[in-house]
Amino acid sequence: MKAASVLAPPVISDADFQKFAEFFHRKTGIHFEPAKRYFVDKRLVERIQASGAENFRAWFVALRFETDGAEMQRLVNLMTVNETYFFREAYQFDCLVNNMLDEIAARKRPGSRIRIWSIPSSTGEEPYSIAIYLLERWAKIEQYDVEILSSDIDTAVLQAAQRGVYSARSVGQLPKPYLKKYFTPHGNDEWRISRDLVDAVEFSRVNLSDAADTRRFRDIDVIFCRNLLIYFDDLSRRVAAEAMFDALAPGGFMCLGHSESMSRMSSLYTMRRFPDALVYQRPL
Amino acid sequence: MALKKSTDTTTLRPVEAREYPRDTDGLIAQLADADATVRRWAARDLAAHPRAAAVLCARLTDETDASVRSVIFSSAARLGGSVVVTSLLPLLRSEDPALRNGAIEVLAGQPDAVAPYIEKLLGDADGDVRIFTVNLLGDLKHPNVPQWLAQVLVNDVNVNVVGAALEVLAEVGTPASLPALRAAAKRFADDAYIGFAVDLAIGRIGVS
Repeated sequence: MKAASVLAPPVISDADFQKFAEFFHRKTGIHFEPAKRYFVDKRLVERIQASGAENFRAWFVALRFETDGAEMQRLVNLMTVNETYFFREAYQFDCLVNNMLDEIAARKRPGSRIRIWSIPSSTGEEPYSIAIYLLERWAKIEQYDVEILSSDIDTAVLQAAQRGVYSARSVGQLPKPYLKKYFTPHGNDEWRISRDLVDAVEFSRVNLSDAADTRRFRDIDVIFCRNLLIYFDDLSRRVAAEAMFDALAPGGFMCLGHSESMSRMSSLYTMRRFPDALVYQRPL
Repeated sequence: MALKKSTDTTTLRPVEAREYPRDTDGLIAQLADADATVRRWAARDLAAHPRAAAVLCARLTDETDASVRSVIFSSAARLGGSVVVTSLLPLLRSEDPALRNGAIEVLAGQPDAVAPYIEKLLGDADGDVRIFTVNLLGDLKHPNVPQWLAQVLVNDVNVNVVGAALEVLAEVGTPASLPALRAAAKRFADDAYIGFAVDLAIGRIGVS
């Protein structure tokens, strides 16, 4: 008998949605408005059916009491959109060139080093966006040696980042003058980034949860760690936040994704509210 | 351009000569170092040294730097197990909220090791300890949580402990929790908040 295959899909009641939304917000910091109801319900039904649970309640209780976090991880992956492109969440790059770097530079002598770490590098869009922003929009770039480090746990994406070939969608948010200046057409509807930019970024494989990997990173002035930690369990997130705290120089800044909150991971950082963005800082 | 790729060894700092050996005893010695950065790194590395669990947890009450404390809690959570649990349970009585909350967070991640102590904690003479135990149950991934909370609703005489249990049951309660919820409403019939919290929990469970 294959009764399960003809069962009607589970129904998510208003109370179920509320219960789930509160739980998910507490665990991830991601808040779902009622307007997102369709998006959330569709994915909840998908997970309930895939898990074989009888209804929302049975699935939710199993989720609450699971010890390995596997179902929560699958849920997070489903509920987040994992894509990247040049100038994504550019308000933080604005904050970098309008506020953070000036504050850091004020504590250093001209000619000294400023170090920025982008993790995860994914296929390179973020570290290269940072490089372009610095070159185009930070007036003091010639006065300092800026190093951009970029890391990922996935060696395949690191290779892709160093290859530097991107789809039209990936470069779609770039201002046209920048596209023309830093990219050349490549094959069919693709773009190859300038070798100068590729050569300006130091790529490395790093597992943020491994102290042996992260201990090499010190005296970082700005860390971009966006839309990564939401995929971690609570303890791993906290361990990563602590490792990055030690990687930062005192006064260094940390940028998280728009749906992430450091206050849910660690109390080590102070919050800084700049005109363009809210960021976190290792106290001086 | 003034973007500079670092090719020198200063970018990624090479392993330095260590003042202390990074074996278990050396790292334990560093927990008392005057420099908070040294203590923080020692606490982090001790996450790979189960033999240090008790010493690491004992250090919490002496450690004054919040960043070092935070790492000690994280390492204790990574070590886990009965030694960590028995070392942290006394912190539920601490007057320091940071210590208490840190302990609850770590304990919540150790359901199997914590479970044998829950009944005793829920019977503690100190109402605050019972409230903190209920807080712990709110994050404890253990199948007995609804039963332990029901036990609070039926037996605990302290309205604040019962109120705390109701908040958690509103999330994790099942139809099996209903008799205990109704018992709490009856026992505290004069307390408007308990009545409200019981109604909310029953509503969330989805049975009227």
